[in-house]
Amino acid sequence: MSAAVKYNGTLRGWAVDPAAGREGAAEAVVADGVLTALTWLSGSDAEGLSPDGVLILPGLMDIHAHFREPGNEDAETVATGLAAAAHGGFTTVALMPNTTPAIDEPSVVARIRAAAAASGSPVRTLIHGAVTVGRRGETLAALGELADAGVTGFSDDGSPVKSASIMRNALMYAGSLGLPIIDHPEDHTLTEGAEASEGYVATVLGLKGWPIAAEVGSVARSIALLTDVVRDVPGARLHLTHVSTAAALDQVLLARAAGLPVTCDVTPHHLGFTDEWIAGARRFAWDASGDPWADGALVAGPYDTSLRVNPPLRSPEDALACWAALADGTATAIATDHAPHTEVDKHVEFGWAINGISGIETALSLVLAGVAAGQLPLATAVAALTTGPASVLGERSPIAPGLRVGEPADLVVVDAGASWTVTAAALRSKGKNSPLLGRAVPGVVRLTLANGRVAYQA
Amino acid sequence: MSGRRIMAAEDVRRAVTRISHEIVEKHGGTDGLALVGIQRRGVPLAKRLADAIAEHDGVMLPVGALDITFYRDDLSLVAQQPIVKGTDIGFDLNGYTVVLVDDVLYTGRTIRAAMDALMDFGRPKAIRLAVMVDRGHRELPIRADHVGKNVPTSREEVVHVLVEEVDGEDGVEIARLPDGRLTGGAES
Amino acid sequence: MTPGADRPDGVLPAPAAVPSPAPWAHRHLLDVDTLTRSEIELVMKTTDEMRDILTRPIPKVPALRGMAVTILFYEASTRTRVSFEVAAKNLSADVVNITASASSVSKGESLVDTIRTIEALGADMIVMRHSVSGAPYLAAEVFGGSILNGGDGWHAHPSQALLDLFTMRSRLPGGSLEGRKVVILGDVLHSRVARSNLWTLTAMGADVWICGPSTLLRGYEAWAAHGAAGRRFTLTSDVSAALKDADVLMALRIQKERMASGLLPSLREYAARYGLTQERLRAASPDVVVMHPGPMNEGVEIAADVAVDPRSVITDQVTNGVAVRMALLYLLAGTHHGKVGA
Repeated sequence: MSAAVKYNGTLRGWAVDPAAGREGAAEAVVADGVLTALTWLSGSDAEGLSPDGVLILPGLMDIHAHFREPGNEDAETVATGLAAAAHGGFTTVALMPNTTPAIDEPSVVARIRAAAAASGSPVRTLIHGAVTVGRRGETLAALGELADAGVTGFSDDGSPVKSASIMRNALMYAGSLGLPIIDHPEDHTLTEGAEASEGYVATVLGLKGWPIAAEVGSVARSIALLTDVVRDVPGARLHLTHVSTAAALDQVLLARAAGLPVTCDVTPHHLGFTDEWIAGARRFAWDASGDPWADGALVAGPYDTSLRVNPPLRSPEDALACWAALADGTATAIATDHAPHTEVDKHVEFGWAINGISGIETALSLVLAGVAAGQLPLATAVAALTTGPASVLGERSPIAPGLRVGEPADLVVVDAGASWTVTAAALRSKGKNSPLLGRAVPGVVRLTLANGRVAYQA
Repeated sequence: MSGRRIMAAEDVRRAVTRISHEIVEKHGGTDGLALVGIQRRGVPLAKRLADAIAEHDGVMLPVGALDITFYRDDLSLVAQQPIVKGTDIGFDLNGYTVVLVDDVLYTGRTIRAAMDALMDFGRPKAIRLAVMVDRGHRELPIRADHVGKNVPTSREEVVHVLVEEVDGEDGVEIARLPDGRLTGGAES
Repeated sequence: MTPGADRPDGVLPAPAAVPSPAPWAHRHLLDVDTLTRSEIELVMKTTDEMRDILTRPIPKVPALRGMAVTILFYEASTRTRVSFEVAAKNLSADVVNITASASSVSKGESLVDTIRTIEALGADMIVMRHSVSGAPYLAAEVFGGSILNGGDGWHAHPSQALLDLFTMRSRLPGGSLEGRKVVILGDVLHSRVARSNLWTLTAMGADVWICGPSTLLRGYEAWAAHGAAGRRFTLTSDVSAALKDADVLMALRIQKERMASGLLPSLREYAARYGLTQERLRAASPDVVVMHPGPMNEGVEIAADVAVDPRSVITDQVTNGVAVRMALLYLLAGTHHGKVGA
């Protein structure tokens, strides 16, 4: 595929630049891919431009996505994943290592890099390496070699390191390499066979409960290990991904207040949906009452497997805690955990369906819906999708997201006032496993420029 | 219902009396005779025939009620399952001559279903049929033994037999269906 | 004035003088949480008629003649499968039995493909049992006919809840559950019978108590806090409080796997602390109705002499099961525009 073309044009809209701490009506001029001018507008020049209309944002960064290559190209390839990312407004994506084979040595990194280059997409592909060989939790992967190959962090993701001893060593070793351990907090002894967050909805639907303690306990353990490790290895860093419960976020808040180098992200689906969606409710978390059986909210059939995800969708209180964590800085980033799957793996019994939501194309829409509902200021939300994730990657981030004159334009133009209907055909991802299929959501991406080049244009 | 009245209350009462005499006469007495009304309006009519026979012959015949819902041949054609009204046959009908009683005889399918239902309760010696109105258009080889009134009708018409116990008054009305709608050929 | 004496019966509305139950509007019966009190009454009334048929010399009617019913069981069960089979045959349906095995690992034919195949073979209705909660909803999504849930995972067992209700009504004075104390005792965590009974019993106004060891009540605290669609019920681990003055006692089966997964110390301890014994029964109302959905572990959740006590209706439950299932098959058949009967 040929490389994407450099963009030329003038863009008008409500610009948000968290790097500069500024938002307002603006006009951006891009010439030969370079942002040559950014003029903040006022008075009659700014007429018609508002935070509810066309937005100009720095290109979004996702630090947690699954593109399934190598090993499961039926579900997604690097090329289709990058196309989906661009459609969702993302210009930088970090891929998780749970491929087949796992990304536990440099040759797999090289293979993914080659696939990204062959796709011709200007979207940047970052790669997280595995913590242990084959993500089996037994022996450390070639962390140093992977670091030399340019990985941006280490994670065993869905198979989090069971042994506290190995986890402790990993935090130390990765810390000495200046890379974070990206921890999927889950105590598997509490979640074997679990189907939905333990509580009201799971009980009524007869689904095996997924205790909140499985996340909280795991978060507490990782933080305890980090506390222990940073004394010897000041560079050690822990990033907790897709934290989904108020109780676990409280742990992160305390750890951060104590000055520990710990960060966390939350996902768009845990912000937007709650477990009552599994029962058939289809209202966003901020509109949920807690008793869909009594208030007539059950408008769809129950047990939609697109809602089966790890960690599971939680209560409305937990979802609101995720928004609050973004607002108060406990959570640094929004990460999509984009997890495309095939029909074969999803069009089955709920309890047997594979976990995951195809979400990279609807992430911005869900966040904008929450912003419109007053859950978070627009600028904070944009930071959580741009500068926030970049800060998690630290020095390894290939870009400092922002609207900087004189640099290659890396931005997304999205119309917050327009809406689009999520359909299988509309999704560029091979994974059609979205709970939003058939639903209209706000925020239509018009243009995505990555490194000055057109990654997506409506 | 803006139907045209073709039998007044008095006509219905006279028809009941006449049929009650005919039933006894045809059977040659009241021994081994029983009446079974088809839900719904056949049930009160059967009860009245029994009362009339008790009055002139001094014998109260066994009376039963039959719901033919489970025997209908058009169950898969109706939009919703009919609500069952109940069968109550409180006597052993083996060896009895059973007179089935219904309000209107039309295609004959109700009677076919009623005979099937009856057979599941035993083996009557004979089955006879008494109806208040025979409106023609038979689809099965079925004929009534006793008829209150023969009424020539078209398929675009509908016949309503009213009985006091259900409708608050006695009488028979005939009405025209809205354009394009035929009375169901599947039912009598 | 009168709305028509001419038939078809039931197609024309009945006269206003006789209030008739709401017609049946569900193409599938997947759960009982959506049933209104009036719909439950319709099932009960139809079941009455079916019980009458069962007492006839020939307990068979042609109501479902030409209707093809497939009984698809992914879980071992003799009693429920046979009950459905007898029910369907009593209504003259053509019955096909499929005992399938399925698991998430042995990737055989998918449920979706199986349902499509059964449909192509001409089935009008599928009675389905599956070990995964919600599986019948997936079947209903792809099947053109009616799905009757014969039990899914821990989630629902509609026909069992309705036969339990029918049995209770036939034994309780006045035939009403209103204000009656009904205790469901045992492993409610894994019980679709408990879940479905919670919906139907609270819908009928019963005072429902759920009782068992705390490890087997997990999640029910959250449910009890909301009630069943707002209808309150009581949760306790105190068996004495639960049994006191109870009008109905329903013991649930305890499975040996519960010990292996660390939920209970031993069957012996369970029997001693929660088993339904004559001694415990004395705390209940003198006319208490004793129930068990079967199969029983005599001497564990229910003492042998309690199972055969005159107050036990366990065998009635089996007979009523056939009648309720006939009623459900009959009502569902009416919503399926299948083949012409005769």
